[in-house]
Formats: sequence, structure tokens, C-alpha cells
Amino acid sequence: MTDVRHILITGASRGIGAHLVRHYLAQDAAVIGCARGAPPLEHERYAHVQVDITDEAAIQAMFADIRRRVGRLDVLINNAGIAAMNPVALTPGASARDVMSTNFLGTFFMTRAAVRLLRHSKAGRIVNFTSVAAPFRLEGEAVYAASKSAVETFTRIVAREVSPFGITCNAVGPSPIKTRLTAGVPPATIERLIARQAIPRWADLDDVTNVVDFFLQPASAMITGQIVYLGGAG
Amino acid sequence: MLVTTAEIESVVLDAVRNLNLARPADAQMDASPEAPLFGPDSPLDSLGLVSLLIDIEEALSDRGFDVTLGDAKAMSRSASPFRSVPVLVAYIHNSLSTT
Repeated sequence: MTDVRHILITGASRGIGAHLVRHYLAQDAAVIGCARGAPPLEHERYAHVQVDITDEAAIQAMFADIRRRVGRLDVLINNAGIAAMNPVALTPGASARDVMSTNFLGTFFMTRAAVRLLRHSKAGRIVNFTSVAAPFRLEGEAVYAASKSAVETFTRIVAREVSPFGITCNAVGPSPIKTRLTAGVPPATIERLIARQAIPRWADLDDVTNVVDFFLQPASAMITGQIVYLGGAG
Repeated sequence: MLVTTAEIESVVLDAVRNLNLARPADAQMDASPEAPLFGPDSPLDSLGLVSLLIDIEEALSDRGFDVTLGDAKAMSRSASPFRSVPVLVAYIHNSLSTT
């Protein structure tokens, strides 16, 4: 069992997170998914934790449990995120707090706790999620894009802090994908965004998986602090 | 539930011994009750200090004591609470007594 890769994925209930769960189970990894919602599937190598990643105490308790039960972690994928589309002048404070809490603080809480286990891995990996909304500086997504810019800076600095432990830290920035996150965005807005990409089409879930796979490869030990956007954004 | 300074000292020294397992022979830490930990008299670098503090936090957590050793106050104090075993033990005991 010691050769089985242990992967923790946030936002595992649906969308990209659920896709990543299935993808890494198919690669014989042991996967722990966490989300506020229900598990995406049942599998002998899948464990699900219903938790809010903005709840610092709950995250610490989850990692204490993982340390006692599993004792190791090789990969953390900070996929969980929420979006809020609103002009700045009309954005409620509570909405801005929710976006920053989930997208940035959640990533921070998970990373801080995970490093303690990842430092014992032969090839520890952290993969964060940003968005093309950050480099495109999209009107109407100021708070969301700012939260992702925070994730990007966090990624670059964490990469330096954890490299002595043999851990890499990178981020993938998906362009629009047909998930619940984009379902509420007006089609014309999405089409305008896609038109700005070097590759002007919708991305699909496997486009994201491909980048995450690249970061997770053993041969990617020299790849850290990098942000890779889909579609040629940035 | 109260924790004694002797129990904390035992946790700290165990963590130092554990750290020594991964350190080269010429960079071993002194694992005695009066030993220096972090500063000019110790071979411990900042990365080693991070590892040591994580190990101590986890060992205390396993015993039911949750403490955050690297808080902003500790990191910014001119007299580091991490400079020696007895100073760290007293710092942890004080932190646990006031939480």
C-alpha cells in the first residue's frame, strides 16, 4: 500500500473536483475528497469528508484525523471555489467576504495543514486553482478575480517556502468550462471572454486534468511557482 | 486537564531527537534539557525550526493540547521563545495556561 499515491481534493462533490476524483481513482490513487456537499461516488479507495474549507477548526480536525488514520499525503488539490458576478458598486460586503474566504482563505487553511503531511512525501505536490478572470481583469468579476490573484501570489510564495521539503506548488487557471460555476453567467459575457483567448473555445474537464497531471508527474519536480492558464490567457 | 512542564519538556526533547534522525552526523542537535535550539549556538536553520515546531504542535495535539507556536507575537519577539529548550518549554506552558 505504501506506493499508493494519496491525493486530497477540495470541492470534490461536483464539476472539476468530481472529475479529478474519478480521474485519480482510475489511476489507482487513494483519494480523499472534501466538500460541503455529498460524495460524488462510492469507491473502496475514496473517502469523503463533508466540511466547509473556510472553517479553520474543522479543517484542522480533518487533517488531525487524516494523520491518525492514513498518516500520509502526497498531493493536495485546492479546487474548491465560488464566484460572484457583480459590478463593484453593487457588490454586497457579505458576498465579497464569502468569495475571499472560500477562494483564498480556504486555500490557505488547506495548504497550511497539508504541508505538515506533505513534507514526509517523496514528491509532495500542491495544485491551486486560479482563473483566467485574473489576467483578463474582467469587468464585473473584480472580487472573484482579486481572490484568484491572491491565490496566484500565495502559490508563488508557498512554492519558495515548501521547496526545501521537496514539495512543489503550482496553479492552473481554467478558461470557461461548462460547470455549475459558469452556468449563471450570461452567455454573451462568456462568449466575449472566450473571444479574448488565443484558443477561442470552451475548455473541457480533461483540459484541466491534463495540466494537473503535468504538475503531479514525478518528472515535474523542477516545476514550481508556475501559473498555467488554459486557452492562452495571461 | 493540565500539562506539566516535565511533559512538555519530554515532547520537545522527543521532537529534537526525531529531527536528529534526518540530520547529518556533523549537524546533530543537543537533546538535553538546557540545550540551545535556534540561534548562534545551534545548527538549526529556519527550515529546521519550522519542522521542529510542527512536530511539537502535532505531538501536543495528539495529547489533547492544541497550541499554535508560530503566532505573530512569537515570531516578532526580540527575545525568541525558540532560543533554547527551557525557554520554549516555559513558552508552551504559558501558552497552554492562558488558552
